[in-house]
Amino acid sequence: MVHSIAHSQTRAWHHHHAERHRRAWVLMAGVVSVAAILIALGFFGMVTWSVLGNAIFHTTYRLVLAYAVALALGVTIALLVGWSPLGDYLFPIFDVLQNLPSFALIPLFIYFLGYTNQMIIFFAVSSIIWPILFAVLTAIKSAHNDLNDAATIFGARGWKRIPYYLAPLSYPAILTGSIVGIAIGWEAVIGAEIITNISGFGAFIKGADVTGISQGAIAGMLAILVIVFVVNRLVWAPLLAESAKRYAE
Amino acid sequence: MTLVLSRVTARFADEKKNSTPTLKDISFSLPTGSFMSIIGPSGAGKSTLMRVILGLMEPTSGEVVRNFSRPAMVFQNYALFPWLSALDNVAFGLRMDGAGAHERERVAREKLREVGLERFESHYPAALSGGQRQRVGLARALAISPDFLIMDEPFSNLDTITSEALKADLLKIWRTYGMTILMVNHLIPDAIELSDQILVMGAHPGRVEKTISVDLTRPRDTRTAPFFKQVDLLTEDIRRTVSPS
Repeated sequence: MVHSIAHSQTRAWHHHHAERHRRAWVLMAGVVSVAAILIALGFFGMVTWSVLGNAIFHTTYRLVLAYAVALALGVTIALLVGWSPLGDYLFPIFDVLQNLPSFALIPLFIYFLGYTNQMIIFFAVSSIIWPILFAVLTAIKSAHNDLNDAATIFGARGWKRIPYYLAPLSYPAILTGSIVGIAIGWEAVIGAEIITNISGFGAFIKGADVTGISQGAIAGMLAILVIVFVVNRLVWAPLLAESAKRYAE
Repeated sequence: MTLVLSRVTARFADEKKNSTPTLKDISFSLPTGSFMSIIGPSGAGKSTLMRVILGLMEPTSGEVVRNFSRPAMVFQNYALFPWLSALDNVAFGLRMDGAGAHERERVAREKLREVGLERFESHYPAALSGGQRQRVGLARALAISPDFLIMDEPFSNLDTITSEALKADLLKIWRTYGMTILMVNHLIPDAIELSDQILVMGAHPGRVEKTISVDLTRPRDTRTAPFFKQVDLLTEDIRRTVSPS
């Protein structure tokens, strides 16, 4: 088997990342073990697991749907703006829009969509879209001139430039923008649920205040921690690692 | 003539109209099938000149007559697409031309074999050395059967042994395909070894100082007295031209 000259570095790189992965899983296994012990000791005896599970399910599916819409919109808009000569004029407009605090806009969403699932999802889209859009736009605008010229010289011109050059060029930015966007999305969905009292994790934990925090809220926070960790480790971390390896200088 | 430039001046969009342009009054012609090197100090606008020639940048004034239909370029920093394997990088231009998958793979494999990288077709650029990346860049350029090849300091990031091997391959490819080559070079001996003509540029603004014909017969043995003498003479000539003080 022929190895490239970088083969030994590739091996060392994999070993380093595998070690980091292993340590993160060990840490999370410790958290889950402690939680399991507490459950066994009856600490979470007051928790109605079906209600909690239902609440987390609603929150999670709203987030997933909002992310899918924000991803499609954000990437499409960013690619079109990055490709178009008019893009430089739109960039400052996006800059102003994304500085608006999203929760300050929630009355508008409630006014037009009411206390509904759709309201929470669209509100979350309005928060998640910006990190993705700006990450992709920045990647396009900061691409090395030689790479831009190579794409032009070898025929990635006109509409072809988007699928054959700009989209794959933006892949690492789509990943990092997605990770930031989803983190913001969790806040947006749970925050909107708290404000509107629509069923979900936000409404579930709404009762927590300075007098105490319910076992359900603690159980819910732990559950969301596990969900976020597992998604990070099983989805984002491998994608990021592969992207870093392939797009390395 | 593959290329004729007549009093071409170029200025970047953000430069003021009364400031010194990047390129001023550039005039030269490039005979078809010939090999020309461009030598000049930093700031001579050599890379800008390449972009003007390829139509990537509009000149502010002057005329560029392009008698080529399929230009290709090899970059100093390789400019390989990191998301594509070596094979797919080489096939990129063919894909943009609408060639079928089978044809693309056949031609790309053939070009990788020509540059000695047939065993690395599934490797991504991050896993290749500088010399290997430059060979992939050369294969990518050759895959589209160019009639005009521009090379922007293709050996500057390579070690001596790798660049010697690549130079030999380049001369073989040039003789085989008979294309016109314009190369930005930073080493005078390389320019003399490879070229029929050397264009000497000055800086601030970028301008043509003189055009020198290299009259040594081919193949050129770089270890002979006539070659060393030519290098000495031209080095002194070029040094006096760009630094008259």
